[in-house]
Parts: sequence; C-alpha cells; structure tokens
Amino acid sequence: MAEFVGIDLGTTLSGLAYLKPDGNPEIVPNADGERLTPSVVFFDGHEDVKLVGSAARDGGEPDRTIFQIKRHMDDPEHLVEIDGRKWTPAEISALILAKLKRDCSRIIGDINEVVITVPANFNELARKSTIAAAEMAGMKVRRLVNEPTAAAVYYAHSQGVQGRILVYDLGGGTLDVTILEVQGDGIRILTSEGARHLGGSNFDELLLDAYAEQYSRQTGARLWTDERHRRRILQATEDAKKMLSKLQRVNDTVSNDQNNGIARIDLTRDGFETMVRHMLTRTVMLVEQALDSAKLKAAEIDHVVLVGGSTRIPKVKQVLEKMFGQAPKSCGNVDECVALGAALFAKKSARIQEVCNASYGTLAMVYNARTGEEKLMNSIVIPKNTPIPCSKTQVYQTSEDNERVIEVDITQGEDEDPRYVDIIGRITLEVPPNRPKGCEVAVTFSYDENQRVRALVVDKQSGRSREVAVSYKGAGVLSEEDLKKKTVSLRQMRIE
Amino acid sequence: MFKKILQSLSKSQQAKAQAPARPSGPLPVAPSSGAGLLSKVVPVAGAPATPRTPEELCEITPKMPRDQVAARLKLLYRRYNRGASSLDPKVRAEADRMLDAIVVVREKVFGEI
Repeated sequence: MAEFVGIDLGTTLSGLAYLKPDGNPEIVPNADGERLTPSVVFFDGHEDVKLVGSAARDGGEPDRTIFQIKRHMDDPEHLVEIDGRKWTPAEISALILAKLKRDCSRIIGDINEVVITVPANFNELARKSTIAAAEMAGMKVRRLVNEPTAAAVYYAHSQGVQGRILVYDLGGGTLDVTILEVQGDGIRILTSEGARHLGGSNFDELLLDAYAEQYSRQTGARLWTDERHRRRILQATEDAKKMLSKLQRVNDTVSNDQNNGIARIDLTRDGFETMVRHMLTRTVMLVEQALDSAKLKAAEIDHVVLVGGSTRIPKVKQVLEKMFGQAPKSCGNVDECVALGAALFAKKSARIQEVCNASYGTLAMVYNARTGEEKLMNSIVIPKNTPIPCSKTQVYQTSEDNERVIEVDITQGEDEDPRYVDIIGRITLEVPPNRPKGCEVAVTFSYDENQRVRALVVDKQSGRSREVAVSYKGAGVLSEEDLKKKTVSLRQMRIE
Repeated sequence: MFKKILQSLSKSQQAKAQAPARPSGPLPVAPSSGAGLLSKVVPVAGAPATPRTPEELCEITPKMPRDQVAARLKLLYRRYNRGASSLDPKVRAEADRMLDAIVVVREKVFGEI
C-alpha cells in the first residue's frame, strides 16, 4: 500500500505521485502509459462506460464530453445532464479521481488516503466538493493543500533552497501566486492570491479568434459551425501556442467542416504576445497584490519559481525577470511539480504552516464615536493570512431593543464595502425577549487545516449559542445521503 | 474609536436594500490623509451614470499624482479580481470590464509590461 500519495486534480491535466522509500516523490503513470491524465470525461452512448483522459479528449462527441469541470466546482447550481441523468461537478471529478486511483493502484498498491491539491483561492464549496469527489472515488482526503504550496514544497525539497520564495503558478485555468519562507526543514506560507479564469485556456481562446479571423479573411467562410469542429481547432491552437514558446513563427493549415477550402494560418510570437499582453498585465497585478499582502518588496524575494504549463511562454519569464531583477526558475517539470509536492506534503504537513486564504467576518454597523457616523460594513474577524488552524472572536452589540432573533451573516472577502464581499452563510440565534439594545454577542470563526470555516455565535447574557459549519445548498450540492449512494454507484461503473 | 454593533437581520436587509445598486463604475475613494475608516467609502450617488473611457471607469483624473493612480488601481484590481470569479454572470461581466479598464489605464500611466 502506498502511504504518502498526492494528487493534482487540475483544470486540464491531473496527476498522481507517491513518495518512494528513499523519500523522493515520483509520478505514477496511468494505464494508458501517460504521466498526466487529461481532466476530460466522455460518456459513451453505446456502451455503459466512462472514458477519462486522452481518449475522452481526442475522440468524443462534444455534447457527451466534459472539459474543465474544475471551473464549476464552486457553483452550487451547476449540473451536467447526459442521457437524462444529472451529474454534479463533484461526481465528474470523482470519475477522474477514480481513473487515477484504479490505474495507479496497479503499480503502487492500494491507495486509501491522499493529499489533493486545490487552487489557493478555491472557496469552501469547491473544497468541500473536492473532498466529496475523493470520497466517491474511494479515497479519504488526508489534507487539501494549495497548489502553489505543493509546488513550493517540491521546489524546496528538490533544490535545497532557503529563504523567501514566490511561486507563480499559471495553469490551464487559474493563476495562483504564493509567497512562502523556507527555514531549515520548516515552511511558512506568507500569503496566497489567486485569479480565476485566467490561464492557458484563455490564451487558447484568443488564438482561436485569430484562427477564425484569418480563415474568414482568406475564404470568406466561418471556420466552424459545430462544437466538435471548434474543439478540434481549439486543440490545434493549443499546439500552436506550445510551438510559439519555442519558435518565433508558426504556420498551420486549417479547413472548416463545410468544404469551404483550406486556409494557411500565420502566427508570430510577437503577435501572440500582443494578444495576451493584457492578461499578462493582470497576472503582474496579482503578483503585486501578493507582495503587498505579505508587506514585501520585489527585492526581498530570494527565488521566483514557475509552475504550470503556461509559464513556458517566454514573455511570462521576461516579465517576471524585469519585475524581480532575477531570472525565475523552473520547478523541474512545471506540469508535474504540484502532484510531486502533494506527495511530499502528505509526509511533511506537520512542518508546513499555512495561512487563511481570505478574510472572514460579518456584516455590522460600525459606529464612529468621534464623528457619530455609522455605516454598514464588512467587519473582519479572521484577517487573510492568519496562520491556520485558527480561531478568533469579535464581540458585537445588538442594535435594537427587544431583538428576539440575532442573525449573523458570514462574509468572505477583504473589502470593507459589503457589496464587494460574498455572504457564504448565516447563523440565526433566538434570544430572550425584552432586552435593551447593546447586549453583547460574541462571534467566533474557526478555520481548519483544510481551509474550511466554522462559526459560533454566543449571546453573552443568556449563554445561548449556535455553531455551524459553512454549508451550501443547490442542485449541484450533494447531501450526505446522496454522497453515500453515489459512492456505491460509482464503484460499480466501468471507468477506462 | 470604533464601536461595532451587531446588525439585526431586519435592519441589515433594510440597509442593503437602501444601498444604491452596484454602480456601473467603482466607488470613489476619498484622499487618504486624515481620513477615518468610514470616510474611505462614500456614497456613490455622485458616480457618473455612463462612464465611457477606461479613466472614467476607474475614476482617474488627468491631474491625479502617479502614486494615487497606483493606489487606486491596486484597490480596484483587488476588488474586481475577486468579482471576476463570482457566480453571478452580471458581477463577472462587470468585473471583466473593469479589469480591462484597469489594465488599459495602467499601461497608459506606467507603460506596458
């Protein structure tokens, strides 16, 4: 049995690694002989089989093929309907995990407990869904770990470095920037910032527009009329993007699905860099935000480490080098280091200090005693970057006479303006009647190692209290009962 | 200095309902010198109804010093980067529009990356 196993459940690629007896991690190939498995699921209409990986990505009918389900893990209403059956994002992810578990178990033995990586800015629902997916696939989640943290653990292990490291993780679907400090055998995370929907697939879409424009200009026709053909062209754009990381000019020939002729596509690296410049500027602003969060300047970073396939783009390296005055270093194989780091994390987690990835608080009227102004604000109880696990309490006062029900909104976000934070839960507490305003209520938030939040409200006068874990409702959220049923059902499925 | 008063649901909902709808542009930020916590956020009634240029969207004026522009863009980036991952398509669309504007203004003021 493999004791320390890490899984990178990626937007476009997933991988599994285990810790060898010599203490070094290694990627375990799938049954198709691939070190990484495309995170794509195809629901076959002829046989009752779910294809996962390259076969699903390359050959399936578009309306039976699910790409990038990870982007929907935080959406409580997202459902995929195939042949009348509705699948939640957690169930689709469970199929990918089940393929990894089944294939890799043949090589390293039973896999029962795993560490799974998630983007640093994954919210509670997405984290909970990831844990549920693993359970359905027959694995217990030892810990969730943020992807850049895992990559940094691998980098520190493989390079033996010390000091402050900034990890720039530009993957297929997300960008994460994490700053951490390595001292001796210990690792302390200082901050993590993330941008969703900013990754290699966004660059592919821009190239797709360029293909479509050039095809239309040369033939007067549309490049695609159906989703299947669009996906094939999209695959071609991804290949072209990879070539542009090595070559200054790339040519391709494409045709549409209506016999309107062939067009020669001409792409240059300069042109591609112009296309993606605004997105790269966004990534720079996220790096600056991370430095601000950690109260550091660029010169105080000892190592800049690249993770994720999109960091192969030369412009990414140039921009970071200009910003930090030092060449960023590659984390070995940028596609594999997250899984490798997760396997290391499984063993070393006790020596890694993580932080709260967002601020948590409640809505409160904040009264300025000097000016007499009061305003509804996001009152933060646990600030972002607080070391975890943690628990913090803030005492508030009721604002009305004879309040019978105290309702506490749980907010997530740093902005003091309530319009720019998410309300992720609410606690209702009944209190005794006929009390004046000004009764004290203690609100305590706790944050565990898996970055999940609990809230406790205590009415100090009556002693009444209520505690909840943040939970979500929606068509795409599985109940405990559903989860058990789906787990049994998934174990009986044919997954290839 | 600040006394926090727990917000009852009724008042909270009332206050939220009374709050202006999410503006088409960002909230104006008062000058930081001597500003208290509350004065950082001011009512949006004066915000332009249909801002057109990226500068107008970001409320950057031609005479604004570079350090104020930088601070303003940082605040807006943090705010709208978060909005870009909202589940609400309207919030996401607005966030994308603002992020585009932020990048354009940044390039104009500070140059391309």
